[in-house]
Amino acid sequence: MSAALRSYGAGLPARIALGLLVPLALILLWDHQARHGGEHAFAFVSAAQVAGALRELWQSGDLLTAYGNSLRNAFGGLFWGSVTGLAVGSAMALLRPVDWVLTPLYHGLRQVPLLGWLPLIGLWFGSGDLSKVIVVSLSAFYPAVLYTYEGLKGVEARMLEVGQLYRLTPWQTFWRIRWPSALPSLFTGLLQSVAFAWIATIGVELLFPTGFGLGTVMQHGQLQARLDIVVVCIAVVGLTGFAINLLVARLSRHALRWRPVRT
Amino acid sequence: MNIDSRAVVRTPEQPALRSGALQLKEVRKRFLFDQRELTVLTGLNLDVHPGEFLSIVGPSGCGKSTLLRLIAGLDDDYEGHIALDGSRVAGTSLERGLVFQDHRLFPWMTLEQNVAFALIRRDMSAAARDRLVREHIALVGLSGFEQAYPHQLSGGMSQRAAIARALVNEPKVLLLDEPFGALDALTRVHLQTELQRIWMSQGSTMIMITHDVDEALYLGDRVAVMQAHPGRIAHIVDVDLPHPRDRAAPLLHRLKDDILAELTATDAPRSEAVVPLTRRRSG
Amino acid sequence: MSAARIDEATLRRSVMVASPLAVLLAWQVLSAARVFPPEVLVSPQAVLAAFGQLTASGELARHLGESLQRLLWGFSIGSGAGLLFGLAAALSPTFARLFDPLFQALRQVPVLAFIPLLILLFGIDEVFKIVIIAKAAFFPTALSTLDGVRGVPKAWFEVARIYRTPLPSLVWRVLIPATVPAVLSGVRLSLTRAWLVLVAAELIVADSGIGQMMEMGRQMFRLDVVMVGVVVCGVIGFALDRGFVLLQARLLRWRAQPAGAAA
Repeated sequence: MSAALRSYGAGLPARIALGLLVPLALILLWDHQARHGGEHAFAFVSAAQVAGALRELWQSGDLLTAYGNSLRNAFGGLFWGSVTGLAVGSAMALLRPVDWVLTPLYHGLRQVPLLGWLPLIGLWFGSGDLSKVIVVSLSAFYPAVLYTYEGLKGVEARMLEVGQLYRLTPWQTFWRIRWPSALPSLFTGLLQSVAFAWIATIGVELLFPTGFGLGTVMQHGQLQARLDIVVVCIAVVGLTGFAINLLVARLSRHALRWRPVRT
Repeated sequence: MNIDSRAVVRTPEQPALRSGALQLKEVRKRFLFDQRELTVLTGLNLDVHPGEFLSIVGPSGCGKSTLLRLIAGLDDDYEGHIALDGSRVAGTSLERGLVFQDHRLFPWMTLEQNVAFALIRRDMSAAARDRLVREHIALVGLSGFEQAYPHQLSGGMSQRAAIARALVNEPKVLLLDEPFGALDALTRVHLQTELQRIWMSQGSTMIMITHDVDEALYLGDRVAVMQAHPGRIAHIVDVDLPHPRDRAAPLLHRLKDDILAELTATDAPRSEAVVPLTRRRSG
Repeated sequence: MSAARIDEATLRRSVMVASPLAVLLAWQVLSAARVFPPEVLVSPQAVLAAFGQLTASGELARHLGESLQRLLWGFSIGSGAGLLFGLAAALSPTFARLFDPLFQALRQVPVLAFIPLLILLFGIDEVFKIVIIAKAAFFPTALSTLDGVRGVPKAWFEVARIYRTPLPSLVWRVLIPATVPAVLSGVRLSLTRAWLVLVAAELIVADSGIGQMMEMGRQMFRLDVVMVGVVVCGVIGFALDRGFVLLQARLLRWRAQPAGAAA
């Protein structure tokens, strides 16, 4: 046991070093290509150039403005999509006629790839922020409906029986039994909604380059063949996605702390 | 019948008595299964006396659990008559508590919240509620664990918590559906002693279903022996011993031999014929 | 009681058929009554007519052919690479340590954010589209393969050791049946993602394909063409997924059927 621990401790720095090997090699290769020029020299930028682009975007305030706009679209869409999804999913789970009417529509509409709605929504609502928020909402809406529905439907009959035994009203049954037992599923849905909302935000911004978000900055960078700017944006997008995921995971761990810790 | 005298012997410290009399007359329960009608219980007559501890034993599939669900009011669809203190049982009621074999504590509530759950429909001040909850947690010996979540409790502790939840309403009748069936042998013996103590101090009528003849005899004033296909009460054994009891009492052993002989002799051939192979061993 | 249940089942089925029809009818009524101008709400007939026209001219078939060809290449390369990567990472700890940080970092970045980068690196030709689809298909398969292979219970290997099972039998009789279900569910997700990203990529930059057809329709305010595109996208997406599920069911025949569903 202690021997295993010691070998683990000794192995840790080595492991980290091993993990950094490949990314480092790639960066070096990349840097080398950028400096010494190869066939695609124009397409490679040195690490220094990327750092320069970051400084440039930061100092002009563009990065912060664009980042703020993207986050606003993402959270606006996430909010509306989750709230409507929660409402629709609950209605479907609790009222059978609603379930019958909406299930075929939901599954029908869900077949269309998300961004496939863009041209249609663009024609109806223009290519401004409204259209963007609608598409992002839609991306958050699908998982919210699905996981709300499954969570509320999945409550165990034996748990409902306890409510029956103590003569709970329908409202008390919902609030004290159905809802908490659906929570794990709801958080899974939220995790997906967040991820999809962020992807959709970048997608719409790339496609509708009106307004000024991270996607727009990337698009401009691409048109000007400024790979350094594109790389900076990709890093920001990736880190943000990572951070939001972490946040939701923390939140759900806190809300679901009554669950046994799984190893 | 000398039941009244026995009740006096059992609990000299209890008030003279009160309600909790359960009456079953010609109860019959049929299920529709695969278009076929299945009679689970038939011609069932039973008088449970106020404050009595009645054990029910029987082979699997004899309808014990169904009977308990009917009394609890979880299932309303039966023929015949079930009445508590003269009024017909319809739906669930806070007067009839039930402890399930699986504790059925809500995983998202602390022990305290789980016990308080039974009081949601009771009109009382928060202070009175807290006091009741605290008292009943103490009654089952779980003081100090009020804030624990079910996953932090052992199987025995969870079952104690479930008993506290069922008793916190001070029901006239407490129904126990194989409450210790899922516990290991040592915990089981321990909880049987505890249940006896609780029953003696509480004084509500208790009806317990079990597979375990020792358990049934140790706790019961009477033991009803059921038979299967269709489910019915074969006969009722009086256990003429005062509480608290000694497990080693010769009477208990003699009665156990009698009951086991009866269960194996009359039931085995029938269940061989009807119960599928896979389910036979669990009996 | 059983009569009531049959009634409810019939009712349910009819409502589930009626609800999409009702939507269609509402659409027809609204467009016939000219509640909205035709450039905002085309009639179902106009969409049908556009579909007929696009089919007759061979335009739809050409776009669809292009799209499906890209999908085939990108999906095969991506999920194939994902399978190999997942296997290698599950079987060799060194490989896993080398590539894990890079893998995790790239996984965080929404695939659409790579579009500008890939355009700069590969231009806007076929290569770009196939690479982006492959990227989308890579991660779900890689992850599920990794989990699937790592999740094989050690006990089964011990059983194999006791009976001195030779390696080929071990792979064929134990490893593959034990991992295939997990891998396939990852591949299914890969297919869905690939289709989604394909449509998005074609919307953003392409000279052909179903996405491009929709984007052109949007730019020329041809709502009917856009609607045809949306419906075709949905139907293809549905057919791909259904087809895969059928294949999956065939490959996994050996698995225990839920009681009652046995054929």
